[in-house]
Amino acid sequence: MSFSLLHPFFLLGALGVAVPIYLHLKRREPHNLIRFSAVRFLDDNPHPRKSPWRLRDILLFLVRLCSLLALIAAFAWPYLREEGSFVVKESRVYILDNTLSRQAEGGFVRDREQLTSLIRGAGRELQIAVIELKTQPSVIAGFSENHEAAEQKTKNLQPSYQRGSFLPAFRLANTLLQNSLGEKKRIILLTDNQENQWSENLNVPPFLKDVEVEIPKTPHRNLPNLSVAEAKAQRIFLGEKALVNFTAEITHQGKIAEATVILRINDQEVMNKKVSLADKPERFVFQTQWEASPSLALSGVVEISGEDDSMAADNSVYFSLPPVQEGKVAVLCQSQFLRLALSPEIMRGHWDTHFIEPSKIAAELETANDAEVLCIESSYLQSADARKLLWRYITNGRGVFLMMNRVTAVTKGFVKELGFECLPEDSSKAGSANLQYLFANHPVFHPFTSPDYGNIMEVKVTDPIRLRSTQAVSLLFSDKGEPLFFQNVKQPGKLFVSAFAFERNQTSWPVHPTFIPFLDLCLQNARPSDPMPTSFEPGEVFIQNLGTNSLVREVVLKTPTGMRSSAVLHGKLQLLIPEKPGLYSLTYRGVSDIERIIAVNASPKESQLRFTVKPDALQAWQMISTSSGAKQTAGLDATPPNISSIWQQKIWWFLLVAALCGLALEGFWVHGRRKTA
Amino acid sequence: MENTAPPTRFDPKVLACLEGLDFKARYVMEGFLSGLHESPFHGYSVEFSDYRNYQPGDDLRHLDWKLYGRTDRLCIKRYMQETNVRFYLVCDTSASMAYKGSRGWESKFGCARILSAALSWFLLKQNDAVGLIAMDAASGLPRLVRPSQRSTQTGLLLREMEQIAPGGNPSLAALLGHALRLVHRRSVILLFSDLLEPSAEIEQYLKQLRFHGHECIVFQTLDPDESEFPFADSHVFEDLETGSRHQVLPGSARDKYLQRFNAFMEDYRQLFQRLEIPHCTVFNHQDPWPALALFLSERRKLQ
Repeated sequence: MSFSLLHPFFLLGALGVAVPIYLHLKRREPHNLIRFSAVRFLDDNPHPRKSPWRLRDILLFLVRLCSLLALIAAFAWPYLREEGSFVVKESRVYILDNTLSRQAEGGFVRDREQLTSLIRGAGRELQIAVIELKTQPSVIAGFSENHEAAEQKTKNLQPSYQRGSFLPAFRLANTLLQNSLGEKKRIILLTDNQENQWSENLNVPPFLKDVEVEIPKTPHRNLPNLSVAEAKAQRIFLGEKALVNFTAEITHQGKIAEATVILRINDQEVMNKKVSLADKPERFVFQTQWEASPSLALSGVVEISGEDDSMAADNSVYFSLPPVQEGKVAVLCQSQFLRLALSPEIMRGHWDTHFIEPSKIAAELETANDAEVLCIESSYLQSADARKLLWRYITNGRGVFLMMNRVTAVTKGFVKELGFECLPEDSSKAGSANLQYLFANHPVFHPFTSPDYGNIMEVKVTDPIRLRSTQAVSLLFSDKGEPLFFQNVKQPGKLFVSAFAFERNQTSWPVHPTFIPFLDLCLQNARPSDPMPTSFEPGEVFIQNLGTNSLVREVVLKTPTGMRSSAVLHGKLQLLIPEKPGLYSLTYRGVSDIERIIAVNASPKESQLRFTVKPDALQAWQMISTSSGAKQTAGLDATPPNISSIWQQKIWWFLLVAALCGLALEGFWVHGRRKTA
Repeated sequence: MENTAPPTRFDPKVLACLEGLDFKARYVMEGFLSGLHESPFHGYSVEFSDYRNYQPGDDLRHLDWKLYGRTDRLCIKRYMQETNVRFYLVCDTSASMAYKGSRGWESKFGCARILSAALSWFLLKQNDAVGLIAMDAASGLPRLVRPSQRSTQTGLLLREMEQIAPGGNPSLAALLGHALRLVHRRSVILLFSDLLEPSAEIEQYLKQLRFHGHECIVFQTLDPDESEFPFADSHVFEDLETGSRHQVLPGSARDKYLQRFNAFMEDYRQLFQRLEIPHCTVFNHQDPWPALALFLSERRKLQ
């Protein structure tokens, strides 16, 4: 048992104890005091005590004694150490990077072993906490746990496929260190210093104060890696043929000359071919297609392999494609090409077309049976009913495909409400122009990056309506730079606007092979979106709002290890996606079960095995401190807890209150006795 | 109380039961008067009071010859005594007057106050003018009630006496100084004090009072603890006036104390003798009637 007698808190406490004692003694009157009138005839006659102090009132003495003991104990409590206690010299937080990139060359396993040996060899004066860095960083072992437990928990960690950012892990570590006892506070990062992990949070204000950060040395700037990601499968209808267009992004770093790509669909290998990487850019799109029945649900995996690959965990990507569900489209157009393209003869099985007669728009308004998508030409917007109909589709979250064939004052005004502005004609840009630029990553145009479906650049457009919008995204441009096709993202429903109508005098597209696929893709994307995506990242928490009227009661996720059920509460679903990439079955249980296949794939960022030596972010996060926060008062061999930890000790307060009550009781007692005397 | 029979002896317990200075004063005075064989109220004046039978030795000047002629009885005429003397009750209010030992029925100040109240009641009944001079312990200024014969004077004096309380530093010398300054016409000064102040300073003021023709009567109120010093154990003695403390082992200090105390009081006795000032010691554990008897005898001398 030892006391830190020189610590300011203790001295302050001693002063606090001394003041009431001093006042008490000062106010105390000798029990044999006589107030006398003729003291002038007396001499001061002190005499030695012949007998020791006599306790006249044992109870009063005990109360005083207990009060003083309680006061001393209260102030000394935070510094009181039992036998076997020890001084914490350093508090250390290990951040163990368990993202996918650490699987390269067995980095995670190596770090884990290193960490367990460090914990095993650490003395009692070292406080250790372990944080696992994943999508959501978590404390594996806190400061309150002993080293054996921390070591065991660290040993049990398994490599993950998740993507994680350093910032939340550092924030969590900083929070742990703020409440630690160590004289020195340190964060040790066990990571590969992946470049994109550090560069994510550069613009964060400093928050690390008086904390030392130690990062490992990066042995190399990058590693050879082969990976595949961004798998996309789309159905394309070319005449009678129903195709599946598949694309995946293959990335190769380092000296990898050749890769083998294997495609498996519904557990059947449909492709196995070698791809030469020598003449390919570092990242390229691998594309293929095959015929598949529209009613067939597809799920598959693309695997890639090559020599000298540092990380095998990112060599496969999973995808799923639900069967085609026939949509309903309402058409209010004059274009014969469009009407023909959407006729049941061509779109049977895909689209159920409902042609609205111009004279019956009002009647259409009265019916509540809206289609999923409305195709409308701008000339019909002269009619107030047509405008109402379009507005109803938009506000109800349905899709609209608006083709601008004619502009009037009324049309201009209405289009302005939709977020578009009609510009006056420009003679320099008059005449016909070819399509030149397109948004290749957009699902409508993504298949056309492949020449298998025809060259969309051959399409000509003549004198399109000049449109401008601040709310819409331009997806297609002419070779004169005029935007021709927009998607408005500000409305509840999806709105596609083309600056031309599908008439021969305005465009050659209706006679081009890409027309039907384009129209189908355009309508498919204009449909109210499916709230359930099919692709996720490992370990992410997916929150889906099904609406309070949803009949779905629970969602069951089938994993190789078993079933995991998530209840739908107040129309909201919260689902924890499995940590391992793969294909999983998801069943929505309600009145009738709906089954979906979801694909879980690692983040492609984790495949970028480029590392940094001196991360700038770390310097930005650290606060410049004028004095070391870890400094302690001179002469102290102990590390006393900070003031907040003293306040948090209930026993301290109890002792203090007991002492004060004791003193108050003693005061009243003495006062009562004096009064009686 | 007025209808009750006068007490035949002084009882401190009865006195303690009485509330108000008025009752206490009358208790003391009436008890005293009832024990006298001769009423102190009768004297030789112009106002007839009553008759009594002639006793051999009575002055023949006071025989009522007319009554003898009518009734053939020899009777002496008695008159209400009228002195028309101005009395000043001078009360010492120094803190030492607050002392009350274990045996006293009242503190020294309380005893002096009752005594002075009783005397004032008596004197006013005699149509004498009575006033009061005392020091206000809080402010250190004198409190003065001008002498008057009016019937309301009793109440005024009693109220004033009830308001004053002992406290503060020694103030007897200052009190006498104020009395010297405030009393102009020849008066009788009735001084109530424990006289626990050096006699040298007091002597000067008493001499001046006598020089100005004032008669003085000193009622020294003491506690038996002061005159006997009965303390046995070791005690810390704190001075009531100065607050100074002395740790004393009484066994060895008692003799010295009594020696000093007696010498101190002897100085005062000699002083009073020299100045021809009647002096009476009143102990607060005894009855105050001897003091009243002294006063009556001295008053007769004033006649």
